[in-house]
Amino acid sequence: MKKKKLINGINVFLFLLPGLALFIGILIAPIVLSGYYSFFDMNAYGAKEYIGLANYKELFSSTAIGFFKALKNSLLLAALSVFVQLPVSLGIALLLGKGIKGERAFLSIYFMPVLISTVVIGQLWLKIYNPSYGILNVCLRGLGLDNLAKIWLGTKETALGAVFAPTLWQYVGYHMLLLYAGVKSVPLELREAAMLDGATDGQINRYIVIPYIKGILKVSVIFAVTGSLKSFDLIYVLTNGGPLHATEVPSTLMINMLFLRNRYGMGSTIAVMLILLCFAFALVISAIFKQED
Amino acid sequence: MKKKILATLLAGAMVLSLAACGSTPAASTETPAASTEAPAASTETSVEAPAADAGEKVDLEMWCIATESDSNRHSYEAAIADVTAAHPEVNFTWEAIENQAYKTKIKAAVAADEMPDIFFTWSCAFLGDFVDAGRVYCLDDAYETWKSELPESMMGNSTYGGKHYGVPLTMNIVGLFANMEILKSIGYDAVPGTYEEFIACCDALKAAGIIPFGCAGKETWCVTEYLESVIEKSCGADTLNDIFLGKATWNNDDVASAVDTFQGLVNNGYFDPEGIALSNDEVKANFMAGKYAFYMNGTWNCADFAGNAEFGPKVQVAEFPVINADKATLGQLIGGPSDTLAVAASSKNAELAATFTFELGREICHYGYLDGCGLPAWTPYYEAAGINPLTQAVAEICANAKAYVLFGDTAMNADSANTYLSYVDQVYGCAIDGAGFVAGLTNDIG
Repeated sequence: MKKKKLINGINVFLFLLPGLALFIGILIAPIVLSGYYSFFDMNAYGAKEYIGLANYKELFSSTAIGFFKALKNSLLLAALSVFVQLPVSLGIALLLGKGIKGERAFLSIYFMPVLISTVVIGQLWLKIYNPSYGILNVCLRGLGLDNLAKIWLGTKETALGAVFAPTLWQYVGYHMLLLYAGVKSVPLELREAAMLDGATDGQINRYIVIPYIKGILKVSVIFAVTGSLKSFDLIYVLTNGGPLHATEVPSTLMINMLFLRNRYGMGSTIAVMLILLCFAFALVISAIFKQED
Repeated sequence: MKKKILATLLAGAMVLSLAACGSTPAASTETPAASTEAPAASTETSVEAPAADAGEKVDLEMWCIATESDSNRHSYEAAIADVTAAHPEVNFTWEAIENQAYKTKIKAAVAADEMPDIFFTWSCAFLGDFVDAGRVYCLDDAYETWKSELPESMMGNSTYGGKHYGVPLTMNIVGLFANMEILKSIGYDAVPGTYEEFIACCDALKAAGIIPFGCAGKETWCVTEYLESVIEKSCGADTLNDIFLGKATWNNDDVASAVDTFQGLVNNGYFDPEGIALSNDEVKANFMAGKYAFYMNGTWNCADFAGNAEFGPKVQVAEFPVINADKATLGQLIGGPSDTLAVAASSKNAELAATFTFELGREICHYGYLDGCGLPAWTPYYEAAGINPLTQAVAEICANAKAYVLFGDTAMNADSANTYLSYVDQVYGCAIDGAGFVAGLTNDIG
């Protein structure tokens, strides 16, 4: 019996080994290496010098690097994701989950931006924001609101909002699909029982559906927050962190350090901070949802 | 005769400048070398030379930035066709990657020591980092064969510790391009020669509802084309050269004052306010569409401007006027040879690759010059009478050059260059003034 258990254990281990090796090689090893490199002053192809925590000290103290400003932008995006993007996604998911006419078509339409390449979306929004011929300014001027027409991506005051709008818009469909799957999994008997008791749609959603899909909501919140902390591609295409670092986020800062300034040690330090922040937020969100339970 | 004069003048002018990157350049990045930043285009081409009579073919691979939409594309294609025909023993493949993406790709390849045999690079500090890491093949032996055609003065920006590591292609300067149709509409037959006249012209343009300058704020190197010219024509080439090369600090009142002068141009409304959100391609298109009267940018644009049947006849190129005659003179220019080919030290056929690179560099220079993509770094071996008038005008400006200052973001090492660009951004966005600019750079760079 013991021998059989041992053989089973070995079999399980052997079957898990390839996946584990891939996981360690692709995910864990780079994280460990980034942590190691963050203690060095290095440029990837030259000699590296051990400098202890100097990179971390510089990251937290240097105004020229502007890490806190970048982090603040990411946290603002995370807040907007949780308090604007997710409620919109949830609203659409609840509406479609009711089984309205054209449900499938609406589902596809809302999910479409997720399927389109971010670079393409970036190019589309660049055209929308173009100060001369962009549809936004053209519409504003057409409505006689000339004073509201702006250089959306070129002005410090408007650039951040202009970058966040498509970022939030693009992933509404993604969260909507996750939540829609949850809404659809609510047993029909529960809904029917509530309806027999005279519950309105709002009450059914509030007291039955939303509590039922809490697990999926937790996943959505974690994805929204960590996704915001890691946000990069759309910002890179639209403003590349400018103007005057107004739209800088930790990922654009990291790319700047790694590939423009050749500061691989500092780039690794930012990478480590991003990983730690993502883990920390994921744990905090899990803890909050656990407490709610 | 004409080509000899041109070659002599260019070589002479370059000697003046090569105190700049001289024999031991520092390190840098971000040259606006190629005129067009194609959207993520990456093309791979294999050129099979005519079959060799005997023996196995040697594989050589090259990476460059001459994408389909790059104005240098034709010169690369023509040069490769010529050189591969002359080397039937070589199976040559090449890949063109968009400018900005290339910078990342080549650095990653150097870090992993997985470079192609031959690669495009920018001279001075950009190549210097790779040389310091021991990843670049020394071209001293191969250079002996080409010394008579490629002046030592042109090799300076890719010479480190007295050894040659790069083959220069063309050289470019920052030019003041003017739409003469617009200038004529406000009563100017030529680009104003003095700074006072120039400002009066800008005021007249403004009064006529025409934007004097277009500048792509989204790509900071485009702002430096203006700012560096203003600093050079206010403080003199030597001052700027010394600062870029770390021989002097940024703590310089004249520089602060010049930066204020530049900011004055911005605050006076001479620049298109929409330009801050535009890429260089968009600003260039606006200039060609007649939205601006002036456009300061690299002379690699000559090919595109002159090649446009409608716009070509309207445009002229001139030198930015002197602002402070006590410290600067005409003939002090921003630019120099930067586009370079180099050979990887890890190449299995480095010796052959070196010879191939020199031949390729010579032909790219030849076709590039004929196409109007820049002035030749190599002594021309051909009649250049058919060169477009814009490039001829650039050649004339260079013939009268007294000093060159290499683009700041090429002359400085990558970290310093990006710190510098960050402050240039702030100046253009009017977040800091001249005093803030020099104080910040003194603190962060020295």
